[in-house]
Amino acid sequence: MKKLLLSLATAVLLALPLAGEAAPLKIGFINSITGKEAQIGENLTNGAALAIEDLRSKGVQVDFVREDDGGDPKNALAAYEKLVTRDGVIGVVGPYTSGCANVVASRADQYQVPLLVPAAAKEEITRNGYKNVFRLNAPADVYSRVLLSAVAPYKPKTIAYVYAATDFGVSTVKTAQVNAASMGLKEVANEKYQQGQPDYRATLSKVKAANPDLVFLVSYDADAILLMRQAKEIGLAPKAFLGAGAGYTTAQFAQQKEISNLVISATQWTDDVNWPGAANFAKRYQAKFAKEPSYHAACAYEAVRIMVDTAAKTRTAAKLRAGLKAGSWNGIMGPVKFADYSGFTNQNNHPMLVQQLQNGKTETVYPAQFSKKRLVYPFKR
Amino acid sequence: MLFLQALVSGILSGGVYALAGIGMSLVFGVMNISNFAHGDLMMLGMYLAYFAFTLLHIDPYLALLLIIPVSFLFGFILEKVFIHRVIDHPHQNQILLTIGLGLIMSNTALLAFTSDPKILTTTYSSSAINTASGLSISVPLLLSFVITSVITAVLYLFLAKSSTGMALRATSQNREAAQLMGINVAKMSAIAFGIGTALAATAGALIAPTYYIHPLAGHSFLLKSFTICVLGGLGSVVGAGVGGIIIGVVESMAATYISTDWKDVVVFVLFLTVLLFRPQGLFGKKGGQ
Repeated sequence: MKKLLLSLATAVLLALPLAGEAAPLKIGFINSITGKEAQIGENLTNGAALAIEDLRSKGVQVDFVREDDGGDPKNALAAYEKLVTRDGVIGVVGPYTSGCANVVASRADQYQVPLLVPAAAKEEITRNGYKNVFRLNAPADVYSRVLLSAVAPYKPKTIAYVYAATDFGVSTVKTAQVNAASMGLKEVANEKYQQGQPDYRATLSKVKAANPDLVFLVSYDADAILLMRQAKEIGLAPKAFLGAGAGYTTAQFAQQKEISNLVISATQWTDDVNWPGAANFAKRYQAKFAKEPSYHAACAYEAVRIMVDTAAKTRTAAKLRAGLKAGSWNGIMGPVKFADYSGFTNQNNHPMLVQQLQNGKTETVYPAQFSKKRLVYPFKR
Repeated sequence: MLFLQALVSGILSGGVYALAGIGMSLVFGVMNISNFAHGDLMMLGMYLAYFAFTLLHIDPYLALLLIIPVSFLFGFILEKVFIHRVIDHPHQNQILLTIGLGLIMSNTALLAFTSDPKILTTTYSSSAINTASGLSISVPLLLSFVITSVITAVLYLFLAKSSTGMALRATSQNREAAQLMGINVAKMSAIAFGIGTALAATAGALIAPTYYIHPLAGHSFLLKSFTICVLGGLGSVVGAGVGGIIIGVVESMAATYISTDWKDVVVFVLFLTVLLFRPQGLFGKKGGQ
């Protein structure tokens, strides 16, 4: 009897600390930390780190589990499965690239753990009616729509496409063709390339021979610099270079003033936009990481903030899904609301911006209500 | 005009491919080893050029005077420590060893230099000479083509005239007979591997100002070098030189007249066609390896 009492008492004592303390809040984060997309991935890593820092300083305790996909969809899927089955997270932010995000999105409903995609543009990600997939950034068709509307007042007539043979490249150009056709633009060249080649001169010469008014480019990272260098070499000078985000918005690209000046790009975010906290975020990011944040950093920051904030109030995956669906936020990415519209599910109808590199500085030039500077058109070297 | 532009770009960029191909072919000829670490040796050349430029402020093309001896020595030591052990072993052992060495090099580079692509921007990185007829010739490509030509000519003279060069060729033609004639074949192997490494590193350094520098950048060049060697005839230095130019021109023409996306397909279709009719490669000897 004594023994039984003793063991009961021990059991109660052991159980007490567990009962007093709630299970820690666990959120996963998948990103391209290594691999070809690692350079942009670093922006997401830093943005997320800053968000976690801010949340902790506000007293939100969160166990933030980071996974690397190396830019490879099968690694991204493995990372998601590990996060939901082994780590027991209730929500996941990521992955970065369209290829990875699309594959992970297709499994989110199976595991019933909400996925918040911060920066991947492929339309299908939120077009398949997945209940557990949310997207903060604007999808691919907005990239081309906003770019083409920015130059529409100047009445260009022809367009050429040069783009990476990736999910992002192909889907962005597909929507650009639709938008260009509705504007009455004539397509004079369409060049898809395999990433990482040393020589695009032949491709660019062909584009130059077609003499387009607009050259629409989709590239990741260093390819953007390579393409613009060789475009300068062969003397390709259309009325405007339109870069669809990614490689054309990085600080590294902006630093190459000789080739990047006056290049126009679609972006999800700029540091001079008048959304609450945007300028302050840029300042703090710069101070902490000694680099200018790209839009990816802002997307990751806001996605992590929204995910953790909502998860802290809801505590289970099912309630988190409902919380994301019902909530609305207004932060550095402007107003955020996950809505169902024109075929999309849980898609934030994010207003994209158009930026232009003017003397090494990124200036917001479109839409007028968010910008201070005017677009320089036509392009000149 | 478009044709001429494609031809010029193709020949110029083919020059660097040729240099990478020659290095691989020389190693195969003398040692009968397919060096799968060749692309990674090229990557090391890129980083050497990058650090010479950023830390020592030496122009990447001028830095070759430093890169060539350093990489020769590295290749020489690599052969003495690792490669010579598998010279008389089956091909699969040699392939595993060189792939392993390549993996160690690229992953060490990943750890040391991170996966951020580095951009080497010289004053001439995006400049070109424009002729009156509208033809544009890339300055960095032209410079690297001239350097490639000089190096190839020197290498040719060395192989044809010097006693070490003759000994290398003798080893390449018949290892046993060369040894019986009193040639130190072990030393010849080390020299050949050293030269091969130096050529790979040179090709890497030459491409650095126009490409981006990344720990895995060598991999796409490995496949290209191998294709060039087989196309030209394994072990044939002249064949590799011509093969490199052919690949450069075919890529450029395919991108101009078919589609950028299809240029690799065109290259490999041509490659298979050549192998179908001349299995020994364009300049290979019949009955050779």
